[in-house]
Amino acid sequence: MRLFSRFAMLLLPLPCLLTGQQWEFGGSAGYGLFRDVKVTAGAASGSAGFASGVAFGALLGNQMSRWVGGETRYTFRRDDLRVSSGSAQATMRAQSHALHYDVLVHGASKESPVRPFLAAGAGVKFYRGTGAETAFQPLTNLVVLTRTREAQPLISLGGGVKISMSGRALLRLDVRDYLTPIPSSLLAVPPNSRISGWMHDFVFLVGVSTVF
Amino acid sequence: MLYHIVRQNLILLPAILALAVPLAPAATFGRVVPIGGHASDIALDEARGVLYIADYTSGRVHVMSTTDLTIGRSITVPAYPGSLALSPDGHYLVITHYASSAGAGLSQPGQNAVTVLDLNSNQRRTFGLPSGPVGVAIGIDGLALILTQDEFLLLDPASGATISLGTVASVQSQTLPVEQANFPTQILAGAMTATADGKHIIGLGGKAPDDGSTSSLMRFSYNVLTRQITAAAHLTTSPSLGPRVISAARDGSYYMTGWALVGCGTGFLADCTATGPILAQWPHASGALNIGSIAIRSSKALIYGQISQEGQKAASDSQTVCLPNGTCVTVTTPGATPPPTTAAPPNLLILDADNLTVRDRIQLSENLAGRSVFNSDESVLYSISDSGVMVLSMAQLERAPRVVASQPDVVFRGNFCNSGPITQQIDVTDPSGNAVPFQVCLANSSSCTAPGISITPSAGVTPAKVKISIDPSRIGSLIGTQAFLFELLSGAAVNMPPPPTRGRAETVTANVRSRFRVLVNNREPENRGAFFNTPGELVDLLADPARNRFYVLRQDTNQVLAYEAAGYNLLATLRTGNTPTAMAITFDRKYLLVANDNSQLANRYDLDSLQAVQPILFPLGHYPRSIAVSGKAVLAASRVAGPIHTIDAIDFNTLTAAPLASLGPYKNDIHSGTTLTAAPNGSSIMAAMPDGRLLLYNANVDAFTISRKDVGALKGAIAASSFGFYMVDHFLLNESLVTVAPVVASGDSSAGFAFVDQEGYSAAVSAGGRGYLQRVVTTTARSPLPTMIVESPTTGDTEFPFRRALAPLADRSAIIALTTSGFTVLPWNFDAATAVPVLDRVVNAADFTKPVAPGGLVTIFGSQLSPITLSSTDTPLPTVLADSCLTVNGVIVHVSFVSPTQVNAQLPFQIDGNAEVVLRTPGGISDALRFTILPAAPIVFRSGTAGPLTGIPTIVRATNNELVTVSNPIHLNDRITIYLTGMGQTVPVVPDGEAAPADPLSSTLLPATVTLGGTPLSVEFAGLTPGSVGIYQINATVPFRGVPTGFDIPLTISQGGLTTTVSVRVVN
Repeated sequence: MRLFSRFAMLLLPLPCLLTGQQWEFGGSAGYGLFRDVKVTAGAASGSAGFASGVAFGALLGNQMSRWVGGETRYTFRRDDLRVSSGSAQATMRAQSHALHYDVLVHGASKESPVRPFLAAGAGVKFYRGTGAETAFQPLTNLVVLTRTREAQPLISLGGGVKISMSGRALLRLDVRDYLTPIPSSLLAVPPNSRISGWMHDFVFLVGVSTVF
Repeated sequence: MLYHIVRQNLILLPAILALAVPLAPAATFGRVVPIGGHASDIALDEARGVLYIADYTSGRVHVMSTTDLTIGRSITVPAYPGSLALSPDGHYLVITHYASSAGAGLSQPGQNAVTVLDLNSNQRRTFGLPSGPVGVAIGIDGLALILTQDEFLLLDPASGATISLGTVASVQSQTLPVEQANFPTQILAGAMTATADGKHIIGLGGKAPDDGSTSSLMRFSYNVLTRQITAAAHLTTSPSLGPRVISAARDGSYYMTGWALVGCGTGFLADCTATGPILAQWPHASGALNIGSIAIRSSKALIYGQISQEGQKAASDSQTVCLPNGTCVTVTTPGATPPPTTAAPPNLLILDADNLTVRDRIQLSENLAGRSVFNSDESVLYSISDSGVMVLSMAQLERAPRVVASQPDVVFRGNFCNSGPITQQIDVTDPSGNAVPFQVCLANSSSCTAPGISITPSAGVTPAKVKISIDPSRIGSLIGTQAFLFELLSGAAVNMPPPPTRGRAETVTANVRSRFRVLVNNREPENRGAFFNTPGELVDLLADPARNRFYVLRQDTNQVLAYEAAGYNLLATLRTGNTPTAMAITFDRKYLLVANDNSQLANRYDLDSLQAVQPILFPLGHYPRSIAVSGKAVLAASRVAGPIHTIDAIDFNTLTAAPLASLGPYKNDIHSGTTLTAAPNGSSIMAAMPDGRLLLYNANVDAFTISRKDVGALKGAIAASSFGFYMVDHFLLNESLVTVAPVVASGDSSAGFAFVDQEGYSAAVSAGGRGYLQRVVTTTARSPLPTMIVESPTTGDTEFPFRRALAPLADRSAIIALTTSGFTVLPWNFDAATAVPVLDRVVNAADFTKPVAPGGLVTIFGSQLSPITLSSTDTPLPTVLADSCLTVNGVIVHVSFVSPTQVNAQLPFQIDGNAEVVLRTPGGISDALRFTILPAAPIVFRSGTAGPLTGIPTIVRATNNELVTVSNPIHLNDRITIYLTGMGQTVPVVPDGEAAPADPLSSTLLPATVTLGGTPLSVEFAGLTPGSVGIYQINATVPFRGVPTGFDIPLTISQGGLTTTVSVRVVN
């Protein structure tokens, strides 16, 4: 939580430094899909990652020019930990909090009622295992799902569209791919196990925002 | 000064109270409301908060407030009000008046009549009746059913109109005036009640006078909705069906009258009729009509009542019941019983409603004497009593002072290693938490104790811990197990011990509240077998031929105890009927059958699920005592309440039994003590009778083919083989039931016999009281010398002279015998020559490595260490288990497990340094094995399991109370508990073999330190685990920072210069 606070303090001033711009504030909800990573332990193999689940977010953005904008986004994900091999599976409740700053390049001017955009940015993702720990968990030879917390750097890629609904209200459709290294404290691999790759979290959000 | 006087007296108070126990008057339960007359009936009017009490002799109906239990007014009614009924809407109180006289003038004239009181308008009308009314009850239709001596009358209380529903016979109340000291239940001799839904009325009318020995009755049921008398059966009973009251369960599925619990109602065997099966009968009844009461507490499935047990009488074999179809049988209670030496004081029995098992017994201030009724929430019981009415609050009953012992048996196991004094402890408590003074006394002893047995303290106030010390050397000659019966006495408690099983006379001693047995065994090296304490009266034993189990029949609690034969642990407890006597297994091995001496049913249990299934119904008056299963017929020897006892055939299609017309060419007329035994291959069933008669049923021809009487009396063992041999009493018989040879010495008592292939095993008790087991080769009738058993096998008694006390297990791993303390397990090769034990190594029991310390648990590996595998969870741990005992430097060691290759034990706390261990078994004494005992050798147990994982170090996280594993890692700031052994001496000292106390905790003498990844943990406690023997624990807290994380972080425990390390996972 202390890490979270420090990072937020770094990110929040960014838009504030850009004065004289049009501001945007909004919230969104949607669904996220993870792509599992492969894990092997000798002859045994399986996949590990996070279960798909709901997503909620908030944003604070500004329009720096007619075409370019930026926004600080926070996204909450309910994404349970899981590992599976054949018919065996283990899960543990988990959640994540993504905080990042994206630069938005719009395909239409800010006066246009429909504004598609591309977004790219970076930030941090906080993973947190919240499920109950038990003395026995299946597939601990591959991955041990662990109730702990971990922060990983995040790369955000995606896009969306803003649709003007009235003078100040916007309907937003966003899609992002949040890339992070594997949170190896939550998806802990025992000494004889190997896991590699990046975690891809595809998040689809529908939101509303207001400009001021 | 005053302070000191008060303080001194307070200190002395418990002692004064304890000394006063024998002097204090007995405490009783129940509040009596005298009425100054003889109450004949009661009716509860909850809406008005009153109880109506018919006072037969004063011609009044008293109105008692249920709030303050005072009689506010008395309604004068015509003379001799005999019964009452309140209409369901509370509008009318119907009172019948029984005044039949023989023409002689009564000083207080009256007439047979019925009075209707309109409780709303306080108006009353009295209608004359042509004959004396015996009872009245009102159904849901608001009409009152009146039983008179001539007919059933239906009265409409509103209009006064009556309809005759039919005539009755054999109902005759006493003619007035009667002899003095006759009470209303004796004069009227009838009882009626409506079920809670008001749809049925059940009742009975008797023939008076009835002196308690024999009743002639008419039992009936009435369907309120159809206005039909659905059953009216005439019967006689002996003893009389007393107390003469009737109480029905709220759902109408059963009712109890007198000593008989009768099934009826949809969902049982038939529609609700008065002729339902006798589910159970109370085996101790005297038959007195005027003493006692019955009330079913449906919400708890309990029956509260008093059934007179005074002056028990011999059963009669000549009483008949004539059913409407012309069949005549007779109902009796069991066998001949001498009258008790001392009458039991008035007492309330609390019985299970399915089989009349005694849950509790409470002393009352006076006898109950008629109807009892519960209020609607069954929190208060109102009962007619000698003085008027007794009010019993169920809440107060639960809080009433009692004195009970924490266990029914206290077993002392001395042995040839140790004949010194042994001490054990029991708790004397009041389950309600009251402080109740008590005294402990040896039964039938003026000195309260016996030589060699000391009780400390012998008196006190509950809750108290009482130490019982046994010095075997002072007890005298101990053969097998000697039982001493102790009694807890208290003048302040109200509980009473349950009456003895079956119809035995009860010897009552004032103020005895409960009993426990002290069993002392001091085995000799030549004794074989390990005995298991199983309290109670065990009457039959059966090994399951298809499962590795055996079944023990416990008669005093009406239970089958199912044991698994691998570890002799109790698998299940199955409820039987009242007074179970014998068991049998069906030929398909699917069902266990249990015969009951006081039930018209034989229980049936599915052996795969160990669940009761539909029972077998025997004819009215037939009580199955013994069942045997052949390949063709399933037969039962029934005690019959009639002129003859019979062998009945069981039909598994209809689940009923019926007497055989004849036994082949012979009459079906057997002794009531007939016991059946079936050949395992189903070819035959032998019946043995105490009068010396023998019968043989041949399944191949489905007939009885042999009947003999070669001796005047038979008793003891009974068995049949698959090879044409039979055993009864002392005699081995051939397939013609002709004696081949006696196999038990003439002066010895035959206790049990079991055939295995062509061999047999005979259990008997010598004239000197020593129990033994002997192998018998049936083909030659020759026997090797007998082998002494650790305690004597049980033998039959007068009422059940035959006993099956021996059962070889199906897997041929052991032979089970019913013995003094419960049962004894003997190895299959019990009589084989035994080899000298050989010790290989001594290791700690935590990880089987060398370091061991005082007080720690150790494992000794070797060979021939014990003839059988056995473990004990008793505390203190025994010093001999099976036939093995262990010494270290000559000090007796407490053991928890023995097997042929392994012994688990606790090292004495006092020994360290060089040591020698020696094991004594029946095979001899091992060579001494040297080893070293360190002052401290902490080793974490590797006995944890989680799912399929085993060998997990026993470290537990306080957060979730689960073992630390990779999936349940230690977190920073966690509290953990490490379980280990070998931490040496403790303060305060805990005696060897005893469980460590929780208060005070016993801490290690040498301090222990714990590090995790090199970082010290805060150790809050290191010492013995409360409630365990030889197990230590360390409670520690992980610091918030400074501990490395990872999968294999070393957790190191150091104590007394020795360290031990296990790897654990640590995360943030």
